[in-house]
Order: sequence, then structure tokens, then C-alpha cells
Amino acid sequence: MSLAFAGGSHRTVPIELREKLAFSSEQATEALARFQKQFPGSEAVLLSTCNRIELYAADEERRGPPPPDELAMFLAECRGIDPTNAGRVLGGEQGTAAVKHLFCVAAGLDSMVLGEPQIVAQVKQAWQLAQQSGTTGPLTGELFQAALRAAKRVTTETAVGRERLSIPSIAVADFASGVFERFDDKRVLLIGAGKMAAETLRYLRDAGAQNIRIINRSLERAHSLAQRLEAQTGDYNNISRELVDADLVVSTTGASEPVVTLDLYQNVEDQRQGRPLVVLDLAVPRDFDSRIGTRPGVWLYSIDDLGQACDSNRRRRQNQLPAALTIVDEETRRFMGDLHHRSTVPVIEQLRAGWNETGEVELDRLFRKLPELDESSQKEIRQAFERYAAKMLHPPMASLRSESKAGPPHGLLEALRRLFDLKE
Amino acid sequence: MADFISRISVVCFAASYGVALICEVSRLWFRSGVRGITMIGFVTAGLIAHSLYLIWRSTTLPSIPLSSEFDWYLLAAWLLAAGSLWMTVSNPRTPVGLFILPVVLALLGVAELSSREPFPQSPATQIWGVIHGSFSLVMSVAIVLGGLAGGMWLIQAGRLARKQAPLQGFRMPSLEKLSIWSSRMTVIAAVSGSLGCLSGIVLNIVNQRHGLLGSVPWTDPVVLRMGALVVWLIIVAGTSRAMRQRAIGRRVTALLSLVSLSMLTISILWGVLGSTQHGLTPSQENAPAITIPAGDAS
Repeated sequence: MSLAFAGGSHRTVPIELREKLAFSSEQATEALARFQKQFPGSEAVLLSTCNRIELYAADEERRGPPPPDELAMFLAECRGIDPTNAGRVLGGEQGTAAVKHLFCVAAGLDSMVLGEPQIVAQVKQAWQLAQQSGTTGPLTGELFQAALRAAKRVTTETAVGRERLSIPSIAVADFASGVFERFDDKRVLLIGAGKMAAETLRYLRDAGAQNIRIINRSLERAHSLAQRLEAQTGDYNNISRELVDADLVVSTTGASEPVVTLDLYQNVEDQRQGRPLVVLDLAVPRDFDSRIGTRPGVWLYSIDDLGQACDSNRRRRQNQLPAALTIVDEETRRFMGDLHHRSTVPVIEQLRAGWNETGEVELDRLFRKLPELDESSQKEIRQAFERYAAKMLHPPMASLRSESKAGPPHGLLEALRRLFDLKE
Repeated sequence: MADFISRISVVCFAASYGVALICEVSRLWFRSGVRGITMIGFVTAGLIAHSLYLIWRSTTLPSIPLSSEFDWYLLAAWLLAAGSLWMTVSNPRTPVGLFILPVVLALLGVAELSSREPFPQSPATQIWGVIHGSFSLVMSVAIVLGGLAGGMWLIQAGRLARKQAPLQGFRMPSLEKLSIWSSRMTVIAAVSGSLGCLSGIVLNIVNQRHGLLGSVPWTDPVVLRMGALVVWLIIVAGTSRAMRQRAIGRRVTALLSLVSLSMLTISILWGVLGSTQHGLTPSQENAPAITIPAGDAS
């Protein structure tokens, strides 16, 4: 087989060992240089992310690339880890299985979060680094191009990477954005200074929110977060006033009783002059009385509501998995077919050269016998010979291409060699 | 070229819009990398054929351009198809075509059932006829767009109230945007409807005073329906404006826009099935029990 990989991911390698096996870009460059010395003529690409370390190798020669166990040992040696220990958890594949694995990885189907999009960029970076290190070649070139194509198809033809999975991203993209078209003219009020609030604000900032006010029992924490998020602070004791001006509230206090009661909200309702209010209540226990959600113009979402949307998105991603795997299978078959067909190229070239040579000899003889033929007639006859040769070559080439889809067409190649006396 | 254009029929562009609608509906079931461009391609092709057809009619018919009920419905459908294309290109993830294209196809269907006879015209009233027809056209298109925006608002608000994530391929515009569309269209419909009504009154008075062709009794069903619709549109616009600082104002506007659309639909269907003197040529007036479609069309 001309392709192989070895390595491990979050599924197979414990985090302690993954940390030791991880390569920085400098270390990866060194490892690739070492690979070139150790396995001259073989191509290699090293993919190292926080969740996986994989070395892909290829060789066009008949001997093929180093087998997976040798590649695993190489990885361990590069990172100064006992190869016996690493060998127990590092796995690998050859041929079609290795190709399919890379396609799944690039499409995010083997990621911790199914369909996560960052992996495509990481695969591209790994390829670029190998290219700069001079360890790529025609095989890895085609392999990684095909992997990126498979990833693109999975992204565009399935929703496997579409559905959001984090509560803050769902809160902003699926709910707040359903109410508001833009956020740059909206007042965002953050009650409390929890971790999730900060993450939600990050999404709101990305969506364009600029006018952000933070209120918290501890003014010091509010100031600190406000400084970090380039926001303003408000008076926690004047929460009614803040509610009048707010368009979107993110609440994450640790209070054991609701911070905003129905009475408090009804007192400020008229002053809001009918403006819609989106409340993302991310606190447990809840900061907003749930009855506020029944008031007209109020869109109240608790962490449970958002969690349910999250679960439903996760299920939808899972539902898309079979379609994504079908695409990966199609692309793997296509790539392997092309790869197997490559091995037939020398035989076809020999066959074509042989026919052309015979044709030329016959044409020379014919033109000598018929000296009265002018240049145009000779050209016509030459073209007819070429067409004839091409037509005669077409059936064996088509058979080879069709046979290549199932695997390397060794039998056919051998038959052609023997029938037409071609060299090995 | 002229021969090619003359062979374009309503079926040609209706088929194009139909395929685009099928593409849009398929969003609900599966994703595809080429669907968006295919859909835009079919709407564009339909729109080009539609435009060529209208140009051909306006240049080859002896009457003033596009002055029959048939042409009026075709123009309304053209405006909506162009609006659908523009909104699809500017909001590719929003299934706008799913809402607008059925209306376009329905209008083409109504056009096919409508009279192709040009409206009666004389040099003295021609300009009033054009003004009346144009304002009525703007009013109807605004009612359709406002009603669809209102309907979309209610669907989106329902989804947000049920706390559901958006469906695959069915991501609606935000409530804020839909609310702006809906209230703007309400105002445009009320203003253009009023102007259309006034110009219609002037047209009829001039016709009656000069004993010209095409005068319509003030109690004609079409006149009464148009009057009632305009009064309703003014009430809707006023109510929307009065309630814009109330929390339920947006929902009320959405609902009223939808009611306006229903009223327009009923009015068109009534026009298709009922009889009227509105917009008839003398030969048609003399014919017994004539069915005149979509009486509101100028």
C-alpha cells in the first residue's frame, strides 16, 4: 500500500500522553526533517492539534511508506517517549482505511465536538508546514487536496457543522438574533459577572453589540469585568432604571431568590414604551421570575430552555452523520480509484509508445512507396493512424479505469504486459 | 429575436418560478451546495422571460401599454418576483421565495383567467387611468409584502415563544426587520390606496361629465370593495402607528397586515367570480353576464 498513518486522538490516547506527544510547529518541522533522513523518498505530513497527533506517510515506489507501527515508533522517538508505552495506544491504518480516516478527520467527523470547523484549518496548516519542510509530494498533495474537498462537501451538503452546540452561541445566534436584526443600537445589560456571562458577551460583541452595562453586587468585580470587556458599569441597587433602558439582559448572578420579580418588571413595563426585551437568564436558580416571560414583548430564556435547544441541535448533528459518512465514502472511493489508476499509467504509456512507434514505421514505409502524396494528404493519413491507435487503446484503458475503482488492477496489468510484451 | 420573444408565453416564466419554488421548498428536507444558485438562476430566467413578455405586449398592442387586467396582474407578479429575487440575493439564508413565489404563481394564474381586453381609454382620461392603475398596483403589492411580512413575524414569534432553535433551512428574518417591513408596507398601502382611490374618483367624474367611455356607477361592487379596502388600510396604518409604543403593537400590526392580505385575496377572487361595469369596453358592457376578474385592478 502506498499510504499509511499512525497516531492517536482524544478517543484513544489519554490526555497526559497527548500532552507529551504534542508537537509545536518548530518541533514538527524538526520531526519532518528527521523523517526525510530516516525514510528517504517517502512523503510525510504531521498533524498535531490539542486532540490528535497523526503522521501521514506516502510512497509512490512499490516498497510503500513505512508501516503504521514503524511510524508510531518514529513519533514516540521524536518526542522522547518510550516507544513501547506509546505503541500500546498509538494506532494506525494503511491504504483505503488511512484515506478514509483523514477524510473523516478533515470533515470534523472524528472531532470531540462533531463537525467542529477549526480542524479544516489545522489540516491545511499541517499540509503547509510539510510543504515548507519539503516532505510533501504528489501523493500527499492529492491526498490532502481530496481531504479538503471531502470536508467542503460535508460542510455544504450536510448540516453536520451547522447547528450550534454551546449555550451562549445558541442564546445569541438562535434566539437574540431572532428578535433583533442588529445589536449596535441596542443596550445590553449584564446582571452578575459570571463566566458564562462573559462568554455570552463575547458572542454579542461579535454580533455588533457596543453599548454594554454591567451591574453586580460586588462593584469591584463589575469594574474588573467591564474593563476587560470595554463595558460600562451601572448601579446594582437601581436595577429598575437599568431595566427600562435595556434591550437585552444577560443574567448570571448566584442569588438564591429571583433578582427581578414580576412586580418589579411590571413597575418598569410602561416606561419601556413597548420596546421588546430579550432576557437570557443563565443563572441557577433563575434570576427572573418565569411569569415575566408571559408579558407582551418579553422573550425570556432560562438555561434549561437553551440547554434543550442545545440537545436538539446535538441530535440534529448526529442525524446528519450518516449523510456525512456517505460523502466521505464516495470521496474515498474516488480518491482510491484515481490512485489505483495512477499505477496503470506506465503500462498505458508503454502501450501507446509501442503503437505509435509501429505506426510511424508503417507510415514511413507507406510514404516512401507513394511519393506522389502531397503534404496535406500525408497529414490526413497520419491523423487517421493516430485516431485508429487512440480508438484501439480506448477499450483497454476504459477496462483499466473501471477495474481501478475496485482496487489495483494487477491482473489486467500483468495480462497487458504479457500480451504486448511490455517491460516491468 | 422578435420571433423568439413572441413565442414566450406565461407558462414559460410560470414554469421557471415553479422550479425555483420547488428548490426553495426542498430546503426543508436537505442541504445542497448548488440549490441557492439554481434557485436564483430560475427566478432570474423567469424574470427575464417575464420582462421580455411584458415589453413585447407593451410594444405590439395598439392600446396604451399594459392597460388590461391581464397585464395588470402580470405587472404585479413581476414586481413581486423581482422583490423575491432581490431579497433572496440579499438574505440567502432566509426562505423568502417560499412565501412570495406562491403569490407570484397565483397572480399569474389569476392573470390567465382575466380579460385581455384593454381598459376603455380616451385622451382626456388616459393619464388619470394610468395614475389610478399605478397606485392600485403599488397598493396591492404593498399589501402582499406587508401581509407576508406579518405572517413571517407570527411564525418567527411562535418559534421564539416555544423556545425552539430555528429549523434547518427555515431561518426567518428577525422580528425587528419583519416588523419594520410590515409597518412600512402598511403605510405605503394606505397612502397608495388612498391616492389610487382619489384618482379613480377623478377618472370616473371626468368620464361621467364628458360622457366618455368607461364611466362606472358609484355603487359598482368593485368601487365599493376598493373603497372599503382603502378605508381598512387607513385604519390599519393608524392603528399601527397608535400602537407602536405598546408592547403588543408589533403583533397587532402583523395580524392586521395579514387580515389586509386576506381582504385583498377575497377581493381578487370576488373579482374573478363576480360581474362589474368597472374597466369594461362598450362591447363588453353590452354582453350579458360578463365575468370580470379581479375588479380592483384599475
